[in-house]
Amino acid sequence: MTLDQKRIFIFPSRIGLFFSVCLLVMLMTAINYQNNMSFALTFLLATLFIVGILHTYANLSGLTVRALRATPAFPGKQSEFSIKLERGGQREHFALYVKYPDSDGSVVNLVEQDTVQVNLHLPVGKRGWFSPGRLLLESTYPLGLLRCWTWIDLDLYALVYPQPLAAAQLPGLASDRPDGAAVPIAGSDDFYGFRDYREGDSLRQIHWKGLARGQGVQTKQYGAYANRSVWLDWEMYPGLGMEQRLSHLCYWALEFDRAEEEYGLRLPGLVIEPGLGERHRDRVLQALALHGIGTRSR
Amino acid sequence: MKPDQQIPRNALVWIIASQFSLVAPHAGRIPIWVLAVYVFAALWRIMVYRGSWSFPGRWVKAGLIASSFAGIFFSYGSLIGLEPTVALLLTAFALKLIELARHKDGYVLLFLGYFICITEFLFSQDLPIALYSLLNVTLVTTALVAMHRPGEHQFNRKTIRLAAVMLLQALPLMLVLFFLFPRIGPLWSVPIKTHTAQTGVSDFMKPGDISSLGKSDAVAFRAQFDGDIPGASELYWRGLVFSTLEEGAWRSLRYFDVPPAERRAPPVETTGESLQYRIIIEPTQQNWLYSLRYARPTSPGVMSGSDYVLFSPTELEDQRLYGVESWPDAILEPELSPWRREIELRLPGTDNPQTRALAGQLRSQAGSDAAYVDAILAKFRDEPFVYKLDPPLLPAENPVDAFLFQSRAGFCEHYAAAFVVLMRAAGVPARVVAGYQGGEVNPLNRTVIVHQFDAHAWAEVWLQGRGWMRVDPTASVSPDRIEWGLERALEQQGGFLSDSPLSLVRYRGVAWLNTLRLRYDALTYRWQSFVTGFDRDRQFQLLNEVFDGISVRKFLLVLAASWVLVLAPLAYSLLGRRRAREQRNCDRYYLQFCEQLAPLGFVRAPGETAGEYAARICRAVPAIAGEVGEITRLYSELAYGPVEASSGRATRSERELKQAIGRFRPARKMRFDRDPR
Repeated sequence: MTLDQKRIFIFPSRIGLFFSVCLLVMLMTAINYQNNMSFALTFLLATLFIVGILHTYANLSGLTVRALRATPAFPGKQSEFSIKLERGGQREHFALYVKYPDSDGSVVNLVEQDTVQVNLHLPVGKRGWFSPGRLLLESTYPLGLLRCWTWIDLDLYALVYPQPLAAAQLPGLASDRPDGAAVPIAGSDDFYGFRDYREGDSLRQIHWKGLARGQGVQTKQYGAYANRSVWLDWEMYPGLGMEQRLSHLCYWALEFDRAEEEYGLRLPGLVIEPGLGERHRDRVLQALALHGIGTRSR
Repeated sequence: MKPDQQIPRNALVWIIASQFSLVAPHAGRIPIWVLAVYVFAALWRIMVYRGSWSFPGRWVKAGLIASSFAGIFFSYGSLIGLEPTVALLLTAFALKLIELARHKDGYVLLFLGYFICITEFLFSQDLPIALYSLLNVTLVTTALVAMHRPGEHQFNRKTIRLAAVMLLQALPLMLVLFFLFPRIGPLWSVPIKTHTAQTGVSDFMKPGDISSLGKSDAVAFRAQFDGDIPGASELYWRGLVFSTLEEGAWRSLRYFDVPPAERRAPPVETTGESLQYRIIIEPTQQNWLYSLRYARPTSPGVMSGSDYVLFSPTELEDQRLYGVESWPDAILEPELSPWRREIELRLPGTDNPQTRALAGQLRSQAGSDAAYVDAILAKFRDEPFVYKLDPPLLPAENPVDAFLFQSRAGFCEHYAAAFVVLMRAAGVPARVVAGYQGGEVNPLNRTVIVHQFDAHAWAEVWLQGRGWMRVDPTASVSPDRIEWGLERALEQQGGFLSDSPLSLVRYRGVAWLNTLRLRYDALTYRWQSFVTGFDRDRQFQLLNEVFDGISVRKFLLVLAASWVLVLAPLAYSLLGRRRAREQRNCDRYYLQFCEQLAPLGFVRAPGETAGEYAARICRAVPAIAGEVGEITRLYSELAYGPVEASSGRATRSERELKQAIGRFRPARKMRFDRDPR
């Protein structure tokens, strides 16, 4: 998002008001001593203040702010929001202060590089998409007398996982269910079909011929059949509320991940086959985080 | 609130530099220990920076403040007055450096720095000081800019560029404000300068007083005539009239010495040609002003005294410009009032018996008062009287006797005083006049520069039917003094400017140096007449001339127009420069496309080709693969294909690309993609 004149606000800072008081004292001195050079100096500083408006403005103007990514987090934990500032020309930009309403602030310069990445940390709220609010970009450079700022809606959201909640009941029993008997395990040799491409699938397994025919991106599935795997199932906690169910599932997903045992997830309308590893865990957690949340909440 | 409010090292260097630069012009006026405080504060702050020392604690600070107050009090004997106040400000300015830790302290320090620039102007508004102060303002502004550049831990000389540029941009608007801002009188009384010994003519005269001025080359005042400059022997600048002899010293009549009826000078009938001129007088911290007889002020705020001298109701704290019109041929006081006659004849006591006897004898030999005056002047001329800058000291008893009959060597005040005593002893009303005589004509701007060494004393004698006549006994003793000035008169004996060996006036013989000096003096005069002369009346007159009548509407119009004229181009150059990088339409559209995808997690990596980028997106979000592929194909054709005949307008494929990107709504599809199916 490139900053232009319409988005930028400018107003004397507290220091600017203090400076105005100083100017008034200087003016009084000039009047009382009838001193023309003091008049001249006072007016020079006053007009410097005015010229400063344009220079302060120029320090923000022409900057482009891009959202990079936000790391997912558990409720109440810190998420890292990465933002990139980019200058439009060769002008040097100094002391750009970037902050979300609840985050820590960061001060950066754009002098030698054309871009700079800013990471802001702030605690996230409840499960789902977390909006950090509008980004504040502020600067008082070069004189400190004027505060120039802008609020930017970046369309950058952090994914908030469910709060893990320990549950006494082990969901491992689910593996004995008959429909769990044939579970493909990725990485085996036998081809058994196509499915839609998902993030994390190996590029070598993409069905390029199908893509060329306009069938969309599909992945070739290979696999062997395992007898036993753990299913984390929505139905394991009947009678509980949605959030609580998700919290328990989340807890167990983390537990199995730590124990390096394969696990799958079954939610109404969504099935994730058992698997293991960081990617698998993230997929499971994302599914849990977004369950029942159709669109990004604003 | 914000992190990193530390003062960067670059700013620290600029702050210390500006501090020393600001205190430099004050150095001659303040006690030496204040300068030591500057060195001490800078060292302390540098040690803090290096981590060797720490910032002062609360009690150390309180101790430093208390001791600087005490120091100023002991140095000046008071805390009231301009000099002690300024010295106190300068000390506080230095000490603030020790506790300079965060931005807040920096602002206080630098704004104080701006104010210290102003205090310098209260002592001098000369051109060199003005230029030097401009440098100081630039330094302080640079420090302010440097403070807002976090992370600059190396001294950066280039920081000054932005400060200088901003000040240059501010300059035109400053001039507009300077000329338009209404000059009003002082709002309240302010501390004035303490009366330090100032070179110049004082309000009483003892033998030796004026000769001491012969050693100074300081400028007393400059005069600029509208017409021709009168010859040097006509330039008798009257300042004070001494009518009273008291304890061996001549002094002027005090206000209450004069009865109310006599306080107004008797009217003068102006005859003959008049001279019109303006004088810029250096601050004397006295009231009287100099003029040629018979003078009438043409500036407001200048008064005329009962003995035809001009004075200002307030002491001259600063340079002052005033205009005068003089009638050299006018007769002053053709009729002498009985009170005036009594005052101008009074000779207290019975001392100087030889002089009194001589006066009685010569007066009876002469037929008239005028003949008696001539006889005395002839005596000075014919007898071996010597004109000397350092004559032998005269005894306290009968000093005139000792001068006339023994030493016979003296400076102008000796001759003037002896002459007046001789006149009064013979019953001729007479008085001493002190001021300056002559002056150096600067051919470059036709001003007369009157130096302190031009100080002079002469006499006025009242003759029936002719009023007060100027008589200069020095002219009889040393005609060179009147025609050519003090330097020529003292050629044989030396002593001229003996206290200022480096004075440029001494080297008047060196042609190029003299031209340079006169050129500089002309510039000084110009500057002074502009700076000190620009008061309410001059402002009114100037604005009236320029704008052909003053009205509020015109004022606002000029103000607004000047602001637009200066700020609009500036705004354009500062804010409009972004368009400098020429972009093809297709690139611009494609960047829009990339921007739409960036928040969804697909930031185009540096160096990633359009094809690679598209493949990455298609793999991740098959739902939008078709659109992405189409857009990428269109773009690649436009960007890398053969150039179509560029007509400046969007081509068909460009329009296609634009429309495709316009339709493209990746966020919506991705949401759908993420939804549980």
